[in-house]
Amino acid sequence: MSMTPAEAAGNHVTAKAEKVKKTKPVRETFKQYILGPVIAFVLFIALWQAVPALLGMPHYILPKPTDVISAAVSDGALLWEAVQITVFESVIGFLLSAVIGIAVSILLASSKIIERSIYPYAIILQTLPVVAVAPIVVIWFGAGFNAIVVVSFLIGFFPVISNTLMGLNSVDREKDDLFSLYNASKWQKMWKLRLPSAMPFIMAGLKISCTLSIVGAIVGEYVAGVGGGEGGLGYAITVSAIQVNTAFIFACAIAGALLGITFYLLISLLSNKILGSWHESAMKK
Amino acid sequence: METEKQQAIAFSQLSKVFQNGTAALDRLNLTIEEGEFITFLGPSGCGKSTALRMAAGLEEPSTGAVNVFGRSPKDTIENTNDIAFVFQEPNLLPWRKVLDNVILPLELRGISKKEAREEGLRVLDMVGLKKYAKVFPRELSGGMKMRVSIARALAAKPKLLLMDEPFAALDEMTRQRLQLELLEIWEKEKTTILFVTHNVFEAVYLSTTIAVMSAGPGRLSSVIQVDLPRPRQSISRTDELFSAYVKKASDQLEDSLDEREDVS
Ligand SMILES: Nc1ncnc2c1ncn2[C@@H]1O[C@H](COP(=O)(O)OP(=O)(O)OP(=O)(O)O)[C@@H](O)[C@H]1O
Ligand SMILES: [Mg+2]
Repeated sequence: MSMTPAEAAGNHVTAKAEKVKKTKPVRETFKQYILGPVIAFVLFIALWQAVPALLGMPHYILPKPTDVISAAVSDGALLWEAVQITVFESVIGFLLSAVIGIAVSILLASSKIIERSIYPYAIILQTLPVVAVAPIVVIWFGAGFNAIVVVSFLIGFFPVISNTLMGLNSVDREKDDLFSLYNASKWQKMWKLRLPSAMPFIMAGLKISCTLSIVGAIVGEYVAGVGGGEGGLGYAITVSAIQVNTAFIFACAIAGALLGITFYLLISLLSNKILGSWHESAMKK
Repeated sequence: METEKQQAIAFSQLSKVFQNGTAALDRLNLTIEEGEFITFLGPSGCGKSTALRMAAGLEEPSTGAVNVFGRSPKDTIENTNDIAFVFQEPNLLPWRKVLDNVILPLELRGISKKEAREEGLRVLDMVGLKKYAKVFPRELSGGMKMRVSIARALAAKPKLLLMDEPFAALDEMTRQRLQLELLEIWEKEKTTILFVTHNVFEAVYLSTTIAVMSAGPGRLSSVIQVDLPRPRQSISRTDELFSAYVKKASDQLEDSLDEREDVS
């Protein structure tokens, strides 16, 4: 094989580029995506530790990270119990909002007339502060587990509905034509075309609603928390607030945040698994 | 009686004005007999796709009518499986593997999965993509996707095949191969084909009849009967008679463009 010098040089460059590329991911990724956040985190914690000490703030106003950790450790059993209860409530709330949200959207979307009449309200209801109606939920369902789950469900329900409805109406015209041309029935179109087309939207809705369901469960516990020591994070926070146990409130809040992140990652994983085979936005990242 | 062929498509005074006021098609009159291979040849925007879409019942005429096998397109679609359509874009469902895309028309008819798969593999083999049956569309090149789309239309076993510039996005080699394959299928299955193209060579090579169209608004400007020997595989594209037809079609296409300029 003969090669002009330019070609040879070109080849050399690409070979080199490939070599760089191979070593690049590990070191560069570390620098860009891990090192920065880690430094920011360490600085933040250091600052947090230093400020109350320097200003002489009492621990019940702003506890230091070490106070928070010791509170979490000393009341570890309580915290763990509360986390478990909140997880249970929010998982049920989330599953209800996913299942009912998708089912209701499908029913709404199956009739143009119904959809047109109800869709505006679904959008308006989404902006309804569920927190504001939580006390009504307690009146209807009684204080305790049921009311908490219902609040968690309500808060996660509307993002699922509005995303699913949007997705079910996002089918491209040519694909819709294809199904019409082969005489597909309304329900065939729904199962084989509209629902798969809506998947990326549905997944986006579920990602929003899974973190909201935890917020919903905690809010639910604020207003409908049960007495007798059996309560989730929201209940634990309320009790700690009365006792001015600020460090433990922080521990509960951080636990809630970690729960939210875990939920989000789990749903993202599921979403990538489901969409991975065809949806491009799921391919990147 | 026997010699009289049934009409596959009858366009009568068919016009389409879109809601935004665009006159896409103006009083198209044309009948196509069963077994013909007819090509709409014309510049961009002359209403070729619109005419095809109306023949498939995907668009309603503004005035006039189109009939397919003696009934309205909607009627034909609801009661028979006679019409298939190859869109300008491959139009595949990204969440279905190639084979599952191909058998969609059969699946919608409620044909058993096993039977549908057998048929799907047969038509995939025809377009040379049998070994890609289990692959997702995004892993295919543009030309391969188009072939899958053609296979899907063939799987429907239509009596009328509507094809909207199916080969426009392909390289010359693939295009010529698919042209041959399409002719073979047409001869074997006795399908009526209504084909749209910009390409004069393609029109002459494939068709029994060429309908030359002009734009603004879309009109039928002339009809050319192509009397070349069959099978076309036997004639060379540089053949004198072939060239004569190409010239004739080009001239008429040019005339139709002039006509438009005279009007404006
Ligand atoms: N849905 C629509 N609404 C409004 N105008 C449309 C619509 N579809 C097509 N048109 C217009 O109608 C005219 C004919 O369009 P058509 O797609 O039938 O052309 P065509 O001959 O297929 O062109 P091409 O060769 O570029 O595909 C064009 O002017 C186009 O802008
Ligand atoms: Mg077109």
